[in-house]
Amino acid sequence: MNAIEIKGLTKNFGPKQALSGLNMTVPEGAIYGFIGENGSGKSTTEKIICGLIHPSGGEVKLFGRDYTDADVRAKVGVLIEAPGCFPNYSVWNNLMLQAANLSIPNAKEEVVKVLKMVRMEGAASNKYKNCSLGMKQRIGIAMALLGKPTLLVLDEPINGLDADGMRIMREILVDVTKNYGCTVVVSSHILGELEKIATHYGIVRGGKMLKEMTAEELNASCRTYVALQTKDMNRTKSLLSCKYSRVEEDEAGYIRVYDAKDPEEIVTHLYENGILVSEIKIDKIGLEEYYIDLMKEGR
Amino acid sequence: MTRELKFESPSFIQRLKGMLGVDFYRLFHTPMFYIFLAIAAIIPAMILGMTSIENAEGIVEPLYTNTWQIIAADTPLYVVNSISEYANMNMVFIFGGIMVSIFIGHDYKSGYVKQLFTTHAKKQDYMISKSLVGAFSMACMCITYLLGGVVAGLLVGASMEVNVGSLIFAVLGKIVMSLGWASLYTLLNIIFRRFFGISIASSFFFGTGILIIGAAAVIGNNSALNIFLYGSSVYACLSSNIVTLLVCIVCSVAWAIIYNVIGTHILSKCDVY
Repeated sequence: MNAIEIKGLTKNFGPKQALSGLNMTVPEGAIYGFIGENGSGKSTTEKIICGLIHPSGGEVKLFGRDYTDADVRAKVGVLIEAPGCFPNYSVWNNLMLQAANLSIPNAKEEVVKVLKMVRMEGAASNKYKNCSLGMKQRIGIAMALLGKPTLLVLDEPINGLDADGMRIMREILVDVTKNYGCTVVVSSHILGELEKIATHYGIVRGGKMLKEMTAEELNASCRTYVALQTKDMNRTKSLLSCKYSRVEEDEAGYIRVYDAKDPEEIVTHLYENGILVSEIKIDKIGLEEYYIDLMKEGR
Repeated sequence: MTRELKFESPSFIQRLKGMLGVDFYRLFHTPMFYIFLAIAAIIPAMILGMTSIENAEGIVEPLYTNTWQIIAADTPLYVVNSISEYANMNMVFIFGGIMVSIFIGHDYKSGYVKQLFTTHAKKQDYMISKSLVGAFSMACMCITYLLGGVVAGLLVGASMEVNVGSLIFAVLGKIVMSLGWASLYTLLNIIFRRFFGISIASSFFFGTGILIIGAAAVIGNNSALNIFLYGSSVYACLSSNIVTLLVCIVCSVAWAIIYNVIGTHILSKCDVY
């Protein structure tokens, strides 16, 4: 069964069309990386899934039921923008209040469990307002995890986190998917991080789904390239540009040749022109570059 | 790991119990509540002890000669002729309106409603919970207002003469009206949820009863005005009886239901940002 199935979703804000026939399928148990530029319709879609805003048209189903179904709604955890905590209350009290809102019978044990899951056991007595950004994001995840949700919707949960915070967040998301069978929809602009955990991707643009694929499909569609360094990079680049259609210099100072069949062929070609290759490797483009390429193609 | 999916939402009673628990916890843990209780106690004391009026002979005498005038008017006067007929326990409903506005405004500002409405598909829970908590806080304010008035009356040596039965019915009537007022303020704050200033201003505007006072100026002291919240609140006066209390109960509950139904409809149809 699919956790989320959206067909022809539209949403208008006055004259502005935020979503124009978006389709989306999230399989159960997936970590679905929801990617798109600012204003592409990610947050609007997520808010519709969470029942916070009403679609203008289309169909939204969660676990085969209409998204407005009270029973299915009770099993959705959410972190959109801010966790919705009361700043003057402690982490513990905020979670206990959320547990009360969800009518969780064994609230204390449940709160202890989610605090452990988000590695916040030691910070339960801290006031929410005194917590760091990373801690607040984790508290938000803990709030969303209360009541054993079957679907977690997280909007930019890793924004502003340091490297350690991102690692912890990654581990938490993998943990809730693997050990608790939870489906996670996570939007982020930090594609390198998303690539490490996502099992499925949805790339949205202009209120429409541009592409949906699994991590394996992404891997298969990511092109390989040859990256090399020489002592005369400018001449190397101009020489290779005459022979190959796509030659670029990357941020790390390597020249990338995307359509080379064989690295040996490049080395030989450069050698014949008096250039010695000091370093050469074969690599694959990541999600970020794939996404940028896809966006360029669309323009 | 896969698990069998079981979708089951809590019952209405469970949901309401949970939400009321949260709202009452918040109410008792916010300094604002105690500040408003103190204000409700201080205001009658200040009015009773510090207000005076110049009579026809030019002699300055206290505006209130009887302690219980600060609690309710002698008769149901919708047309206001002097400040002493207006300034009584009904003022609590103005303070209550401001408190409900701050309480609900914080729900939206903190993002609490996003978390809440994601899991709570049925919006009537929110309306009912806020109305009940608002009504409770206003009822508490009525009590501190009563205590403040009595203490001030004793201190300034004002007369304590009153028909005790009528006084009890008047106070109970006003306390009962808290439910209707709280539901009105909850609705106003739902309508103006994106504009905190307008929420407070509208609560203040309706709380003063200016619309009923205006209507009374045109149609006179007409008992038909009792169908409105301010009308029934004025009706609970020092000549009250069991009928007064029944009128207050019917009016308050009927408006509470109407405002809750409208509020629930608005919440169900409008987007949450």
